Amino acid sequence: MSAVIQALLIGILVGALYSLVALGFGLIMGVMRFVNIAHGSFIIIGGYIAYWLFTLWGIDPYLSIPAVMVCMFVLGLLLYRLTLAPLLKYPRAEMRMDKSLLITFGVTWVLDNAVTLIWTPDTRSVITSYSGSTIGIFGARVGLVGLTGLIIAVLIAVFLHLLLTRTYFGKHVRAATEDSGAAALSGVNVQRTYLISCGLAAALGGVAGVVIVSSYSIAPSAGLSWLLTAMVVIVLAGEGNITAILPAGLILGVLQSMSTLVVSPAYQQPISLIIFILVLLLRPNGLFAHGGTDGR
Amino acid sequence: MLDPINFQRNDVLEVNQINVFHDDVQALWGVSMTIAAGEIVSLVGSNGAGKSTLMQAICGVVKPRAGSIAFEGARLDRLTPHRIVDKGICMVPEGRRLFPRMTILENLEVGASVKAARRTRRETLEWVYEIFPVLKARSGQKAGTLSGGEQQMLAIGRALMSRPRLLLVDEMSLGLSPVAAQSIAGVIRQVNTSRALTILLVEQDVQLALSLAHRGYVIENGRIVGEGRAAELLCSEEIREAYLGMGSSKQ
Repeated sequence: MSAVIQALLIGILVGALYSLVALGFGLIMGVMRFVNIAHGSFIIIGGYIAYWLFTLWGIDPYLSIPAVMVCMFVLGLLLYRLTLAPLLKYPRAEMRMDKSLLITFGVTWVLDNAVTLIWTPDTRSVITSYSGSTIGIFGARVGLVGLTGLIIAVLIAVFLHLLLTRTYFGKHVRAATEDSGAAALSGVNVQRTYLISCGLAAALGGVAGVVIVSSYSIAPSAGLSWLLTAMVVIVLAGEGNITAILPAGLILGVLQSMSTLVVSPAYQQPISLIIFILVLLLRPNGLFAHGGTDGR
Repeated sequence: MLDPINFQRNDVLEVNQINVFHDDVQALWGVSMTIAAGEIVSLVGSNGAGKSTLMQAICGVVKPRAGSIAFEGARLDRLTPHRIVDKGICMVPEGRRLFPRMTILENLEVGASVKAARRTRRETLEWVYEIFPVLKARSGQKAGTLSGGEQQMLAIGRALMSRPRLLLVDEMSLGLSPVAAQSIAGVIRQVNTSRALTILLVEQDVQLALSLAHRGYVIENGRIVGEGRAAELLCSEEIREAYLGMGSSKQ
């Protein structure tokens, strides 16, 4: 029984990180119909910035989150201006999606190699004084670092939810997600909404990187495997359903963690991919779709 | 066509000799028109004649390759759609194009996005709710759950939220029941008389379009082929024959 609770708790912690990894990716995909392959690189760069701040100035990784977010926000704006904005001249969303996939794949190569030049190909992680500490919950033990990661993921998800439902910017994002042409005709500056969304998505990726560098480790080549995780979560949540990303990540984390009770932990990655394929086959609009009343 | 109204006209919109293309196909050929302050103008023509294209050109969705469009003396034809809304022109697009997964209130709030409209949002919202009480009653409901007539009310309400001085309504009654179409027409007349709102209308029911309007333009194959007071157009032999199915021969 205690093994089950342990697996459940670890699943929730890992799942929260999965949601965090997927939020920024899902935002760009939902709003602009762009597939941002470079999101994995954003995550890694965010982790390296936190690593630098820690090793050079001794700043605690969780305290460095605001600084990381600002840096990544600027990087996101640059990505949009230089690579994604030119794609808006294509009128159809499918064309943009295809082309964004290729272009951001190229951006990934550039970023990953730049990261390798700056930080070498070695695996890095941040070891703080509390890195090994654990807390007992219901007779199970969870790491302090992982728990902080969970709290951050929930805070970020709540922040994003409030931003999307309470502010003009958030309503513009959602309106542009549903019908960018109608949003422009209603007076929404769609270009600027895209630009800021892109910066925000990169900043969210940076936060995920901070959590990863403090609870796991990062290497320049690790971006793509985190990207894969983000894709699985987005498929579970359903494309364009940003508020479903947190529960979807938690479900994936718990399922993966529970599977270790039955099969070897080595099968975690295949299991998440099996879930990915099953959801695509059985519920292509995600676990949370309410039937087909969208009118699309 | 000389019209006595012309002597005291105050033209707010001037479309001057525009050519518009969809990809390589020319849709409008040297189209010119004017709208005076406080007027309702109807565009009449068959499907594919270029009515919607003209509306889209005014809103900046398509750019004319030649000619100019001016609103209150300022050029519009180089501006993006949201800047044109900022200038005081808002369109109710064909097919409503609401944001179905957002609530009615949120749809209206998005309508009040431009700077000037944000300042007067509360007041405008009261006004829109006064015109369409059903929207107030359902303000928390998702827009996708509304009936066709209610959706058109919301689409008009969303456009009014930007406090336009010129309202464009594309395909006002398409897909609506006759009762809903009449009630929408009543609202158009009401906002025109109570707030002196200038309106450009595309409506497939030519009888309804011209009975609402002060003046009308007739478009055929991308060219303006007729213009005049709505009442006169409604009586003209050509219009009756081409669009109302009432030829000179007995019906």
